[in-house]
Amino acid sequence: MIVCVAVVGHENNPLYLQSFTEADDALKLHHIVHSSLDVIDERVNNPKKSGSTLNETFLGLLYPTENYKVYGYLTNTKVKLIMVMTDLDVKDADVRSFFRRFHAAYVDAVSNPFHVPGKTTTSKSFGQRVGSMVKSFGPGATA
Amino acid sequence: MGREVAETCMEGMILEMVSAYSTRFYATKPDLAARRIEAIGYQVGLQLSERYTTERPRFGDHLEAIKFICKDFWSELFNKQIDNLRTNHRGTFVLQDNRFRWLTRIPINSLPNKMDASQHDPSAPTPDNKAAQDTSMHLYFPCGIIRGALSSLGIPCAVSADISNLPACSFVVRIKA
Repeated sequence: MIVCVAVVGHENNPLYLQSFTEADDALKLHHIVHSSLDVIDERVNNPKKSGSTLNETFLGLLYPTENYKVYGYLTNTKVKLIMVMTDLDVKDADVRSFFRRFHAAYVDAVSNPFHVPGKTTTSKSFGQRVGSMVKSFGPGATA
Repeated sequence: MGREVAETCMEGMILEMVSAYSTRFYATKPDLAARRIEAIGYQVGLQLSERYTTERPRFGDHLEAIKFICKDFWSELFNKQIDNLRTNHRGTFVLQDNRFRWLTRIPINSLPNKMDASQHDPSAPTPDNKAAQDTSMHLYFPCGIIRGALSSLGIPCAVSADISNLPACSFVVRIKA
């Protein structure tokens, strides 16, 4: 289950941050998202270590914590998409396709002429779209 | 799927946008009109590059990004690629389009003749200058688009246009170090 998704701009400014848990752990999840930014920076600036992931938008598993797995995605426009989930055995392909759809939703949201570049996304339809994507996420639910 | 719109409507709208800014909103301040039109192009460029780069790996260096602008980005906008790309390898790129689409509808030759009739003020710009100025007004929008697209790819730059031999048009991109 996905517990948190985030969009972070190219200057590490938060553009969208949403957690999907009942419990009151939003702060903890936001902290996890925040600390994953350093991991992304490291991956991008030291491409030797990551080898094959060089220049691919999907960055793969950033780091596992005790309860969560954090995945990252870096677009050409230096926008970072981050996803925190609790499932411990997920296929990379599922995560990839989630990020692809997440990215498409983000692109649609910023293409709104009333959206100010670099400001947080307040679009309701973007929120709903991400919400339904998160709900439908799971092995075999990639259609 | 995206919705589609006829190309003529798009071109008509861009022509009208430029003429509204340069003859109605800021008729007395061409510099300000140019800046506003460029700013609109900048935002369009930001959003377009966000959309057109979704399905591709990240760019390694500046040249790759410029090539993307010349090939894929230009094809999406104008159904053709940039005809000639030159660079001095020190951050300046010249993108030449031999038949720039947004200039083909502008009556370059008819403009000076029309101006002659109403020309009474000796201090007013000569018809030729005026025509050149009017044409260059139409280039701030595409300049802004290129600047917006490149800056969203992480390359801050300045873009200017050169129309010394119409309808060919060169865009000069200077990357800020």
